[in-house]
Amino acid sequence: MVVSKLVKITSHEAENQLELSLRQAFEVLEPKLRPPFSLTIPNPQEYSQLNRAILYGVLSQPHLAKTHIKHLHAIVTDGYALFLSLLVNVVNELYSKLFDSAKNQLLWVTKEMIAVLGVGFDSLLVCLLRQIVGGDFSDWNLWLCFEMVNIFLDKWDCLLEEEPLVLTSALYSFLRLLADHCRLSSPDKLDSLKTMEIEFCVKMLREQFHLCLKVGRDLIRLLQDLAYVPKFRAIWKDLVLNPSEFSTARFCDISQLYRSRTSSRYFLLRITPEMETQLRFVLTHVKFGGQKRYQVWFAKKFLLLPERETLIVDIVRFICCAHHPSNEIIQSDIIPRWAVIGWLLKSCRKNYVEANVKLALFYDWLFFDERVDNIMNIEPAMLLMVCSIPRYIDMTHTLLEFLFLLVENYDVDHNDIIVKGVSSAFTILVQKGVVHSMNILTCCAALSPFLKDKLHRLLSGSNLGVSKESQTTHLRPCAISLSFPDISCLGTPTPSPER
Amino acid sequence: MMVSLKDIVPAAQNNINTQFILLDKGRTAMEGGQNKTCLALVADEKAAVHLQLWGDECDAFEAGDIIRLTNGIFSSTRSQLVLRAGKRGKIEKVGEFTMTFVETPNLSEIRWVPDPNNSNKYVQEAVISTHSRLFPPMP
Repeated sequence: MVVSKLVKITSHEAENQLELSLRQAFEVLEPKLRPPFSLTIPNPQEYSQLNRAILYGVLSQPHLAKTHIKHLHAIVTDGYALFLSLLVNVVNELYSKLFDSAKNQLLWVTKEMIAVLGVGFDSLLVCLLRQIVGGDFSDWNLWLCFEMVNIFLDKWDCLLEEEPLVLTSALYSFLRLLADHCRLSSPDKLDSLKTMEIEFCVKMLREQFHLCLKVGRDLIRLLQDLAYVPKFRAIWKDLVLNPSEFSTARFCDISQLYRSRTSSRYFLLRITPEMETQLRFVLTHVKFGGQKRYQVWFAKKFLLLPERETLIVDIVRFICCAHHPSNEIIQSDIIPRWAVIGWLLKSCRKNYVEANVKLALFYDWLFFDERVDNIMNIEPAMLLMVCSIPRYIDMTHTLLEFLFLLVENYDVDHNDIIVKGVSSAFTILVQKGVVHSMNILTCCAALSPFLKDKLHRLLSGSNLGVSKESQTTHLRPCAISLSFPDISCLGTPTPSPER
Repeated sequence: MMVSLKDIVPAAQNNINTQFILLDKGRTAMEGGQNKTCLALVADEKAAVHLQLWGDECDAFEAGDIIRLTNGIFSSTRSQLVLRAGKRGKIEKVGEFTMTFVETPNLSEIRWVPDPNNSNKYVQEAVISTHSRLFPPMP
């Protein structure tokens, strides 16, 4: 059996087709991969094979990598487009199986591709960001974080000039990863990494705020998880009190961010391709009632370690905002999104994670505006509340209670926006027939009268536009200390050294 | 040629090529004091069956693995009707997770008798159990 120098293959594991195609090209062309290089111009077929062979050489022969890359520079005729698309496939399909030395080479060749501005190097960076696993404190995962943040700091000027949006993607990733990294109680091995991640994020927020705005409202959700870190606390203060600090004429109030829906590509950043494949498979192929084994396998693979729990927040955001089933699936016997989210919510062990998961589930409700928002993002929470009534009324209670907690406390200075957002969310869910009528909640015998009362008040306000009550809240002087979205009442994050 | 699990029939032949997902795995035991062996529940979209793993196969696979069997055999060993690679066959992992399955019928839980019209062939006589009795479905 031929041994791969690229990926770890265990006994009884079939060969990977991508790895095989690279290896075969390398084996055939190996004699031609050393100087003097042929001067003849390869035909398209030969060009493609040569790209594959060189890629295999770069990744598997560290000592010859410089020669291989020179060879590539000499033959390239497509702006490195093919080479980069092969690299993207290697990252998506093989990354977790790569030998350590091949991972090192992969990061080395990535920097080479940035240096020559190869066509599609930004996609490669995004794919690599996706391979950083949230809540994973293993050495190789932290190594990848370090390498990536290093690239973004090191190549800052070049990236800003050529592909500024990749910096925005990096910001989303590192803000989210920092929330995990700052929470870990034994920060020794993380210290220098955290410093760099903070440096990068702060640089983005302070110097390129117009790029940060592109993230949309989830930027606030992520920042609020870091509000206890001094450098981010200072940024918070300015966001709320001195929006003009952010060298962007366009920004004058935090509500601008609230009103901008976050694009689904950001949610994909925190889900590895493997997780994405499995989640999408469940939501398109597995029948409702037959999901149990898949849930066990998924949890065992991705959620088993206690620190991994925060990943559930990203998964819920992904399911609400980045996986929208077709009508055909919705009408079939396939497990619906709300049921998967119900399971994920039940898997939370820590209170603050559970609170963050609920926030993720309701986040688009708070600022819902028919003109920019998608009903599919708010549908799972509604169905989870309604479908839980017959057998899991506790779930309905917990969710509704949480929603009202958000309406009343999330951001008291923008309470008008939130009241309007949540009541519009309910209104459109009824209008579009996700539920036939609000009676299913307001007339539900099992639901606590207290919550029904609150619901009545909220919905009556919705017909009158902004209610009187919320106007007074809005007009209240905000001189009272510092007020920003606060969910501390909902769950206490683990103390951090910085606290 | 690839066959579906529902179409396999007990026979003393190493000619079954098929693909399935591993749902559950039993404890590894020593057979004859030398070889490790273990039973597993595997299934595809139409049927399930018990798979016998041998030697290092026992540790090479886990629940959720999608497995390709080449030149396998479906026959009785030690009074259990199982699918296995045998000495001439091969099993390898080709993927994970993304395959649907059913847990009934389970071909190992069916009583097979020689075909009255063709004594070389076996036909189903009765269902002993709809689901695996060794690996009951998850609640």
